[in-house]
Formats: sequence, C-alpha cells, structure tokens
Amino acid sequence: MRNVAILGVGQTNHARRRTDVSTIGLSREAVLRALEDADLTMDDIDSVVVCSGPVLFAAVNQPEKWLADAIGARNKPVVRVTSGGGTGLAGALAAVNQVRAGHANRVLVIAYDKLSEGALQYSISTLYDPFWGREFAVGIMGFSAAYWKSRMDLLGHSEEAAAMVSVKNHKNALLNPYAHVKKEITVEDVLNSKPLCWPIKLLDVPPISDGACAVILGSEDAAKKSENPAWIRGMAYYCEAENAAYRSMIQSEPLTIAAAKVYRQAGITNPRRQVDVVEVQEPYTCFELSYYEGLGLCPSGGAAELMASGATQIDGDIPVNPSGGCMGANPIGATALIRLAEVAQQVRGKAGAYQIEGAKVGLAQAGGGWANLRGVAVVSSEKG
Amino acid sequence: MNNTFTSGIGDDAVLEAQINLPYTLTTGKAAGTFLVALDQKIILGTTCEKCQKVIVPATDYCGACGGQNVGFLEMPHSGAITAVTKVDDKVFIFVHLDGADIDLLHIFHGDLSTAKVGARVTAKWPESVEVASRITSLDGFELAKDSAVGSSKPFTGTIEPISEMPYKLSLNYKHSYGPHYGRMFDELATNQRIIGSRCSACHNVLVPPREYCDICYAQTDLYKDVSDAGKLQAFSIINLEFVGQTRTPPYVYGEVVLDGSATRLIHNIGGFDITKAKEILTIGMQVKAVWRPKDQCKGTLDDIEYFQPVFE
Repeated sequence: MRNVAILGVGQTNHARRRTDVSTIGLSREAVLRALEDADLTMDDIDSVVVCSGPVLFAAVNQPEKWLADAIGARNKPVVRVTSGGGTGLAGALAAVNQVRAGHANRVLVIAYDKLSEGALQYSISTLYDPFWGREFAVGIMGFSAAYWKSRMDLLGHSEEAAAMVSVKNHKNALLNPYAHVKKEITVEDVLNSKPLCWPIKLLDVPPISDGACAVILGSEDAAKKSENPAWIRGMAYYCEAENAAYRSMIQSEPLTIAAAKVYRQAGITNPRRQVDVVEVQEPYTCFELSYYEGLGLCPSGGAAELMASGATQIDGDIPVNPSGGCMGANPIGATALIRLAEVAQQVRGKAGAYQIEGAKVGLAQAGGGWANLRGVAVVSSEKG
Repeated sequence: MNNTFTSGIGDDAVLEAQINLPYTLTTGKAAGTFLVALDQKIILGTTCEKCQKVIVPATDYCGACGGQNVGFLEMPHSGAITAVTKVDDKVFIFVHLDGADIDLLHIFHGDLSTAKVGARVTAKWPESVEVASRITSLDGFELAKDSAVGSSKPFTGTIEPISEMPYKLSLNYKHSYGPHYGRMFDELATNQRIIGSRCSACHNVLVPPREYCDICYAQTDLYKDVSDAGKLQAFSIINLEFVGQTRTPPYVYGEVVLDGSATRLIHNIGGFDITKAKEILTIGMQVKAVWRPKDQCKGTLDDIEYFQPVFE
C-alpha cells in the first residue's frame, strides 16, 4: 500500500462564539494556517474533503459549495463527508484513500462547526427515529449519561474517576494556545458542579465551540519536500447497527474492531508500551474512561485505576489528551480532525508547550453518531 | 409479512412532523456591512486583492480565486438583466450592475414579458421596511429604459456592520409509516400491546419491528408480542433544559429491554419520588409500562406515560 503522510495542519483560535467571522471565514482561517505550515498554496492541492457535523447544526445546506468558493477550491474535486462527531477522521480517511488510490498527490481536509449558530441538543435529538424515541431524546447527553451509569455499576467508571479526567484535561488545556476554556479545577469542583443529565455534571461536559481544523495529506512523493511529515501508519472508521439485538453499550464493538485493524496495520501489539501519546475525542469525561479500555490501554474494568495511577497525565507513561482534548474546545465537526492534527504535531515535535518529549508514535481516536461510529488512527515520525 | 390493520394507520399513512430550529447567524464583515449599507440606499461591492474582480454583494472572499476581498466599492444603481424566471407571482432576475464582475439576484418589479435579457434596470427602494439590514432593504429592480451606464467608486463613508442575524428554519416532514410501523402503532393504540418482528435466522425479536435483522441480514418472518415490562438497561436523571424539549425537568431518561425482545426501547422512567431516583433505580431492575387511558391512546409511544419500577 502507498505511504501517506500529514504535511501540515492548522487550527482556528476556537471560541464560544466567533462574531468576527462567518462560517466560511472560520474555516478559511484553519486552511490558511495548514497551507502555511506545509509551505504550500492552494495551487498545490489536488482535491478537497469538507467535513462538518449534522447539517442542522447550521442553517446552510450543502455548505461545501459555499466553503469551496472562500478557499479558492474552484475547479478542484470537492466532496463532503458527514459522519457525526467523528466526521473529521472519516474525512481524513477519505483523503488517505484518495492519495493511496493515486487519485491525488495532496488532499486538503477541512473540518469545522460553528455551534454558536444553532440549537445543539435539539438538532442532535433529530438523529432519533421520528416515530420511535425522538420525543424522549435529550440530545446525545441523556443517552451518554445513561450508559455511563451502567458502566459505573459494571466496570467501576466512578464519578471520581471521570472527575479526574476533567481535571487533567482542563489543566492540559491551559497550555494550548487554541483552547478557549482556560480554567484550573479540582475533583471536588467537578463532583459539586450542576447535574445536567446525572451522572453527567456541568464540568464533565466540554464547551460548545466555534472552530475549524485543516490537515493536508500527501503521497510519499509529496512528503519528500516536507521537512518533518507525520506518517499515517494505520487508520480505520467502523460502524455498528444502532438498535440491533443485544448491542453492547458497555464496550464499543466498532472501537474494538477499528483499534484491532489499525494496530495490525501499524504493527502495534502492546499499545500501552508502544504508543507515546494519545488524543481521544471525549464528548463527556465518561467516554475517555471507556476509550482507555476500548483502545487496549488497560483491561476491561481497569480505566478508573489507570486514571488514578497518573499514567495518562501529561508526564505519565501514556499521556492522553495533552492538548486538553475536547475540554479546551469542542467544535464538534472539527473535533476528530483536531485529535489527528494534535498527534501529528506531537510526532513532528511541533506541539509547543505540551510537547511529549521524544514522541514518535501517536494514537488518535474519534467517534460519532449514536456512539455507533468509531475511528482510530496511528501516526508516526517514521515511515515504517 | 402480511399486515392487517385494526384501526386507522394504513400502508399509505404518514406522520406529519415539524422541526423548528432557531439560529443566530454570523454574517462576517462584508455581508454585515453590505446589509447595513442597503438601509442607506447604498449598494456595496468589493474588489479581490488577487484577481481584481468586482463582486456584488460584497463578500469577504473572492469566489473566483479564493482571494481576500479588500475595501468597499459603492456600486451604481443601474445595470442590465442577464437572466429571468417567475416563481409563483414573483419575477426574479439576475442583474449585471454596471461595473460588476458578477450578477446579483433580486426581484423584478414589472411584468414578466418586459423583463428581457439585456433590458436596462435601476434599483427600487422600499418606503419602509419591517426589519432593517436585510436583503429586502433593497426592494428590487425596475425597468429604466435608456438609462446611462454608471460606474463604481471607492466607498469613503463609514458603516458599522452587523455581525449577527437571527434566523429560523421551520421544516415540515411527512414520514411514511411503512408496513411495520403502522401495525406496531395500531397495536399500541388499539390493544395496548407492543409488537416486534422475529428474525428467521437468529429468532431474536426486534422492537420496533423491521423487515431485516441488523445482525443476520435475514428476513423477519413473524410478529411477536413482547411484554410491556422489561429490564432497565440504562438511565440518566435529566435536569438539563434545552430548546425543543418535550418534557419538563427533572425527569428520568431510560432505556428498557422489554421481556421477549432483544433490543432497547427509549422512554421515561417515572411513578416514584424523582428526588430519590439515584437510590430507587438500579441497572437491571424490572420496570413496567404505565399506559394512558385507552380513549387517550393515539398510536404513539406516548400512549405509555412512563415505565415504572416494579418492586418485588
């Protein structure tokens, strides 16, 4: 299979509400930064993949048309990939496949959401069957909280363990220049914060953000001109049936499948030892605990212990979300691509204040839909 | 599968649903300035710093080359029609304003037969507007035979742009029940009974009933009654308030696996002191449907008021 590398990445200065730019202006900011990082211009880009969350998050339909105009993508192939919260990684996979297939030498992936414009939980509730459950939906939060409660009882994912995730990610976000939530908090603050959908409390929840991320992927040939590319060593995005018989809500089946496939591609047999840095997409703190297990960083039921051990702290042996993860900023459609961009920056040695020293192998995770879409990627400073 | 309906929901029945979403759009600088300028009877364009094209309405970025647009141009109010159509009772035209490199879409005030391509037109301004700083602050265009060809000039005034604009989407849908949902909701309303469909291969009973099993991809072959009681698989206590919410917090969101089925049903858990939900509810406990009085059942999941814990 042809090698594919990340040549450049760019992020916006995320905010609760960016009133200085329109949606396309926001996305353009990330694109210009990625082009600058890769030392390229739009003339060098062969193909564009646009990613955003569920369309009702914004009031513009077919936004890729609007966006293509603003970045000079006219007369280039443009497709839009929409796959819920994980859409950024699904889009990156589409780009990887375009390069692998020889269709394009360099592909620009843009992922964004301007969540300040719409009614978030209401529009997420429209993911439910209109006949069957929509009237009871509490966005994705009611559902996520319900299965956290189950995992709490069955796997020991306690409120305290989740609170430690929040404290860790908030603290890490202080170092991230693109994050907009900059607040040091304690476990007690999280436990005492307002219950929204118990067990989910206010400080278990990431912010609602306006933001965009752009990543430029290229062939081995294109990477020759790049000083320090991050090589894609494995990438997968899997789906499970949303209301099939005996669907397991305790361990995510598509995450397990995606991780197994990607580890095989990347030659990883012991992720805890072989991976240097991890970025997971944690829409709520409870998911980070669940992903520790799904990604094989610890055994099933071992997440709370792993969290308490300090191993996933920025100075631990398997740092998770040194960027602050979603707690620093959560522009949903962009979030998965941000996770990929962050691990790319780590293995390129460009992660600034939260650089993990000597990081060579990075693991990114993404998820979307009704928790039924899960993606995993491994990047490395070495081609393999 | 063969369907016989006991009441009103037939094969061609539809569920009429509406999604009403409020938005606060962010205009960006150029559009925000353009809209305020219209209130002052000024039509603003911009020039691309890269390809020098003159774009109307003013936009932040050039659609031709992706360049940044710089400065504002005050456009003449005159131009020529380049395209025309009639939708319902309104005539829409594309107008090539004198000096512009792109056509502007707006309403033509006049008869369709007079809106010839190439005809000269001029801006028509409203006497008053309901809401300021909208595209409707320009009423449209009307014929201006033999009008002189104008030209753009740099805009030297100052305009404080708007940055946000309220907006609403009201979406009406007609969802088809299809063969299985019609029967299922009929059973709810008529017999206060919940049905699923059985997979011909794995024999799991799937609720709501469906044509194919999601796991085996084998056809389902039988409707099966399932119990209106089952196991509480997950729950959360809702205090969150949000736009579009159909229940008043606090309440309990629950997912129930009904006895005799293999899938999850989303509903509310109630009938107990909600302030003690954390102590009363346990994962795996038995819950049972509390039905509304039969004459109030309408063939929706709301015919069940909630699921109530069963204490043994």
